[in-house]
Amino acid sequence: MSVVVIGLSHRTSPVELRERFAFAEETIPSALKSLRDSGIADEAVIISTCNRVEIYAATPLTPDAAFGELKKFLVQWAETTGKPSLDNNPGSRGRSPHQEEMYSIAEPQSLNHLFRVASGLDSMVIGETEIFGQLKQAYDLAFRHKHTGARLNKAFQRAFNVAKHIRTETNIQRGSVSVMSAAVELAEKIFNSLAEHEVLVIGAGETSGKTARALLSRGARNVVVTNRSPERATALAAELGGRAVPFEQWPDEFEKIDIAISSTAAPQHILDRAKLAPLMKRRKNRPLLLIDIAVPRDIDPAVNTLDNVYLYNVDDLQGIADDYLKLRQEEVARCEKIIAEKVAALLEANRYSATDSHR
Amino acid sequence: MLAVAVYGLNAAYSVFLWRKGFRRDDHVAYFLLLAGFALHSVALAKRGFSFHACPVNNLYEATTFLLWALVVAGLAVGLLPRLRFLGAFASPVLFAVGVFALMPSLDPPHGARPEFSGGLRSLHAATILLAYGAFGLGAVAAGMFLMQQHDLKAHKIRAVLSLLPSIQRLELVTARLVFAGFVLLTVGLAVGHELPRPEGASFFSDPKVLWSAFLWLAYLELLVAHRFFGRSSRRFAIGVIGVFVFLLLTFWITNLYSALHHS
Repeated sequence: MSVVVIGLSHRTSPVELRERFAFAEETIPSALKSLRDSGIADEAVIISTCNRVEIYAATPLTPDAAFGELKKFLVQWAETTGKPSLDNNPGSRGRSPHQEEMYSIAEPQSLNHLFRVASGLDSMVIGETEIFGQLKQAYDLAFRHKHTGARLNKAFQRAFNVAKHIRTETNIQRGSVSVMSAAVELAEKIFNSLAEHEVLVIGAGETSGKTARALLSRGARNVVVTNRSPERATALAAELGGRAVPFEQWPDEFEKIDIAISSTAAPQHILDRAKLAPLMKRRKNRPLLLIDIAVPRDIDPAVNTLDNVYLYNVDDLQGIADDYLKLRQEEVARCEKIIAEKVAALLEANRYSATDSHR
Repeated sequence: MLAVAVYGLNAAYSVFLWRKGFRRDDHVAYFLLLAGFALHSVALAKRGFSFHACPVNNLYEATTFLLWALVVAGLAVGLLPRLRFLGAFASPVLFAVGVFALMPSLDPPHGARPEFSGGLRSLHAATILLAYGAFGLGAVAAGMFLMQQHDLKAHKIRAVLSLLPSIQRLELVTARLVFAGFVLLTVGLAVGHELPRPEGASFFSDPKVLWSAFLWLAYLELLVAHRFFGRSSRRFAIGVIGVFVFLLLTFWITNLYSALHHS
């Protein structure tokens, strides 16, 4: 008996195709049951997320035979659950999931694939941790309904251990890979603790709201929102649990706040060196983090030359996120090495227990 | 000499850490500092026990005691995970001053009983040298602040990747170390005023006393301007480094010309 994987992911297929094969969580136990009843698999786990649909199966069949049966099962299951036909689906017209979109992997690569998925190496954002939880949930579901046995239990437990090991031993999950989290990380490199600092949002846009929310989630004390249209300012302030101030009065807030996020639609700079210099004196030169996510920019880059002023625009933040992503990619080789070692150890353990049971 | 060699090794390792952007805290720099400290302590203890007094009787001993005070402060502050790299930043200073202290002319042979002894004198020397240690470490923290601030201003990825503390914390640590040094210096100078003077030597016109008074005023000005007049953190950090560099460069000269310290 060997472990095989069959599935589709963001790497191989468009969302139109993935959604056709997606499993609703409540249908997974019955799908697993019919898989086992059909004799294709003795043990099985189905994971269905927005980025992947995969069946992990411990099968008594040869890999080639198992792949054919599993593909047939996937297609039939999609049809019986009333998913739109491939032929009617724009974007996937003329495609067949039996071609390149669906991958089938036999042991030992199947174990390698499982470990990579658990560690976030196969994710759209390398190193993300959400997949770990999703995989654990999928395994727990199969385990609770008694659709797993010795082979898959061991494989999944090892996969979770490897993922944790990789998380602690490498930098694969380190750093911010989005503009919002990069802004939060910057704030933490400037200020001792965000709990002592207030945030000013100039321009109640979506990204500025998200960034303010990210700062609040990391402990920022309060949010002050200002916008040309006061209604939007009041709405965002209420959503963030802060207060709104009239647009003309935002410079008065500079004495109290330490982080400002600007995203107005103003055609020229709303804050320049001449305007900020006296405000900094009133702040007794406390550090000030300015995040300018507006295009065209709201803040004159020359303010960065003032002492204790740290100005970052959207490109700077994106640059940090990209650098982190690059670093994560550099870590992939280390992770692959760990995975190869752990897969070899698992195969050795399987071989040993197989020999033991034959004695 | 072994301790200085270990500080040298730590200085080389700190260059490696710097090149790596202070991204990984593998404790090597801290343990090298600890190893250097152990050797350093043994050397100081041996000399101290042989005199039955604090070993600060000549420039060599004063300098090595100053370095020892710096290492003690560095190890204590380095217990905080975010400030562990302080030792790595301090090691080039320790190595450079250590090599200087090893110059033979700084340690002339003296009689069975050193000229510089007694409880009050030991207290005076110890507090003054501990104050220098705190100023030195303050200068190192100020250096960390300037590096981190420059990286943040220049949008360098190293600023966010490094395991260094926030610049606000670095500024706080610098200010606290300078304040601690200032208090120790004040106590040391007050004790020094009470010490018996050699005949004919004037206290207020002694170059070392004048130099110390200047140092005291310089640190007072730095602390007051930073605390009460909103002097920018950058200027404060540069000031702390500048005054400590002045201290390091002129400490030996004033000592040589001081009649009070060559009784």
